[in-house]
Amino acid sequence: MALLLQLTINGLIAGSIYALVASGFSLIYGTNRFMHFAHGISVVVAGYIIYTLFTLLGINFFLSFLLTLILSGLFGFLMFRLAYLPLQNRKASNVILLMASIAILILFQNLVQAIFGADVKSLRYLEVGKGLSFFSAVITPLQIVIILTAFVLMICLYLFMKKTKLGRDMRAVADNKELASIVGINDRKISDYSFIIGSILAGIAGILISLEQNLGPAMGTSLIIKGFTGAVIGGINFVPGSIFGSYLLGFAENYGIWFLPSGYKDAIAFVLLFIFLLFRPNGLFGLNWGLR
Amino acid sequence: MRSILEIKNISKHFGGIKALDNCTLEIPKGKIIAIIGPNGSGKTTLFNVISNLIKKDNGEIYLENENISKNEDFEIAKKGISRTFQNVRLFRNLTIKDHLEIALADSDEKLLKSLFWKRENKDKGVKEILDVVGLNKNLDTYATDLSFGQRKLLDLAMAIARSPSILMLDEPVAGINPKLRVEIKEILRKLNEKGETILVIEHDMNFVMDLADYVYVLDYGKVIAEGKPREIQNNKRVLEAYLGE
Amino acid sequence: MISPYIIHLLILIGIYIILSVSLNLILGYTGLLNLGHIALFGIGAYASALLTMNGVPFVISFILAGLIAGVFGFLLVLATRKLKGDYYALATLGFGFVVYSLFLNLTGLTRGPLGIPGIPKPDLFGLIIKSNFSYLIFVFFIALIVVFVIYKIVKSPFGKLLEAMRDDEVGLRVLGKDTRKLKYKTMMISAFFAGIAGSLFAHYISFIDPSSFYISELIFVFTIVIVGGIASIKGSIIAPFVIVLIPETLRFLALPSSIIGPARQIIYALILLLILMYRPRGLFGRIDLE
Repeated sequence: MALLLQLTINGLIAGSIYALVASGFSLIYGTNRFMHFAHGISVVVAGYIIYTLFTLLGINFFLSFLLTLILSGLFGFLMFRLAYLPLQNRKASNVILLMASIAILILFQNLVQAIFGADVKSLRYLEVGKGLSFFSAVITPLQIVIILTAFVLMICLYLFMKKTKLGRDMRAVADNKELASIVGINDRKISDYSFIIGSILAGIAGILISLEQNLGPAMGTSLIIKGFTGAVIGGINFVPGSIFGSYLLGFAENYGIWFLPSGYKDAIAFVLLFIFLLFRPNGLFGLNWGLR
Repeated sequence: MRSILEIKNISKHFGGIKALDNCTLEIPKGKIIAIIGPNGSGKTTLFNVISNLIKKDNGEIYLENENISKNEDFEIAKKGISRTFQNVRLFRNLTIKDHLEIALADSDEKLLKSLFWKRENKDKGVKEILDVVGLNKNLDTYATDLSFGQRKLLDLAMAIARSPSILMLDEPVAGINPKLRVEIKEILRKLNEKGETILVIEHDMNFVMDLADYVYVLDYGKVIAEGKPREIQNNKRVLEAYLGE
Repeated sequence: MISPYIIHLLILIGIYIILSVSLNLILGYTGLLNLGHIALFGIGAYASALLTMNGVPFVISFILAGLIAGVFGFLLVLATRKLKGDYYALATLGFGFVVYSLFLNLTGLTRGPLGIPGIPKPDLFGLIIKSNFSYLIFVFFIALIVVFVIYKIVKSPFGKLLEAMRDDEVGLRVLGKDTRKLKYKTMMISAFFAGIAGSLFAHYISFIDPSSFYISELIFVFTIVIVGGIASIKGSIIAPFVIVLIPETLRFLALPSSIIGPARQIIYALILLLILMYRPRGLFGRIDLE
């Protein structure tokens, strides 16, 4: 029973991280119609930025936090403007954009490794506090912060998409790009914002991960796979769906290793991804793209 | 007059919209049948359903008395239906020669046979077809280097090259200059004289009236009128459909 | 005569020629972005290694490596037949991840992250290919055969069908061609060659582990194919020379060893990105993907 509870909590934590990654990815996919696979590296880069600012340079944590968010947004914006937009203007197919995205991911992953080394870094802001006991399952204060932050951000994202003009414009573009531009929505501007907001979400994920776990260059690949899987499960162009899918993945992984050796944890995500892409590429809630 | 193609009670809806509503058509062998109607009336959807590029909701289709309702798109093509598209479908990186060789070949999917294929003079067959449609460009011209009119001719050439029992043409002269329009009309007339059955979607009324033996009129997915061209021209319902209420 | 290091590089180049020409067949000529190609390479490598180390003669293991990879290629087409475009690509990437995960976790079979050491040198009916130089001859002999076969395929009417399918699959189907069969046949051929490339790799390096068959290898091979040029056999033969040799210039920069690995990857990723952006045709490609 205690084990079940612990696995549930672990699932919640993992799901929260994946949701932060997946929601940004979904936002970008819905608005731009291509797969920004390099989104995973936004998480890693953010982690290393705050590591540099806070641990290496000793800048005040909250200032570092803010700077990291700004730089994350900027990073996403630059990826769009410097790489994707020129390709789109050249009428590149989605397939080319995907290849370029993977190239960007590998490029920055190795840049980070070259600069900082392959070893893991830790942020050392909150001491690895004693876990709080919760019906004989353990959860640390930081982990609670992660779950709450994810919840709060998801609610903010939901309100943003529903209530603000920018959010509604984004949903319009995701729904029907041609129609949106006919009614005067500037889809270049919307794309800019989707990358900025999506990458800031990734940045938050990066900061939380580096606080809670350790930071390593290869995390980007594994995170985008998990985030992407969560998005596919829930419906890749549907942000609430991809959040749901991420939590589902978090639980599946953690309950899964009850039955399987723990080395299979990542494999669970891969297999789920493959199965969904084959049998339900639109996810549980998504719209009808991707099939013949 | 035997029917070469029988389309019975075809319906198709997309979401809430009924694109085709219980359509029945009979295409007699050796005739030219035109399908007309306002934009969005379901003409191209009808073609797509016949070719099985889109699955119909219900209805049956018979080609020379054989039920082809469950056949796949390429099987239907193999059985003798050739079609063209409104937006010409060519292969951007292939030459005129490549296009026609593909259209003329019938066992190029067999890899081993294809590997030991000797380069017989296929050029002759290719040139013959090109003469029929009047496309006088160098065989090694890439599809992307052709003008709009030439691309339509190549599309037509590929369809004809397959010696189909039925030629289904979706707006073969849309966007074409008047001179070429007349040429294409003549090409189709000559083919028909040789016995080719032609099913054509067109908006150009002169083209239709001149060429067609029989006309079906679609509106909102329904066959609202059918008959000889003269009859259709004077049909009130047809006029209403085109001009609006 | 020739420095042993050059021989080493040439052997790798030979193996990469086989990998890229077979990838170009499925990507450049058939238009399918198969991101699982490296997984098929890995399946061939593991199959060949495990078979020979369990007593199967090399020649048979070599062929079986190709056939087993071919079967997986068939299964991959079967699994992804309803997908198109980037969904197809990601499903094949997913396939690659699943295979990697299996290499890593089926430790009873593959020894997981420890890898398989001590893979024997090829024994061709009693003639053991011991020296690197003789291995080089062997690899280039196989590469020659592979290139010849793929060249014949590509120039035949079957090859024209593949290119037509790449350009407009629906347009080809209404001409009466069964494009699904084309995909199966082509993928199985491409997979077979990836598998035998894997065998050549395993028996040369004599040690394999899952990390050789993951994303960085994928990027490497894709960079080769894109740089060489989509749908250009010539490009896929020349590009491996270029791409393998470029990072060798790094050696003259006297970089610390911890940086060399990532630096190579950075170069490949940059080359790939720049080519995609500014010269998507690569060196010899004739094709515009849109």
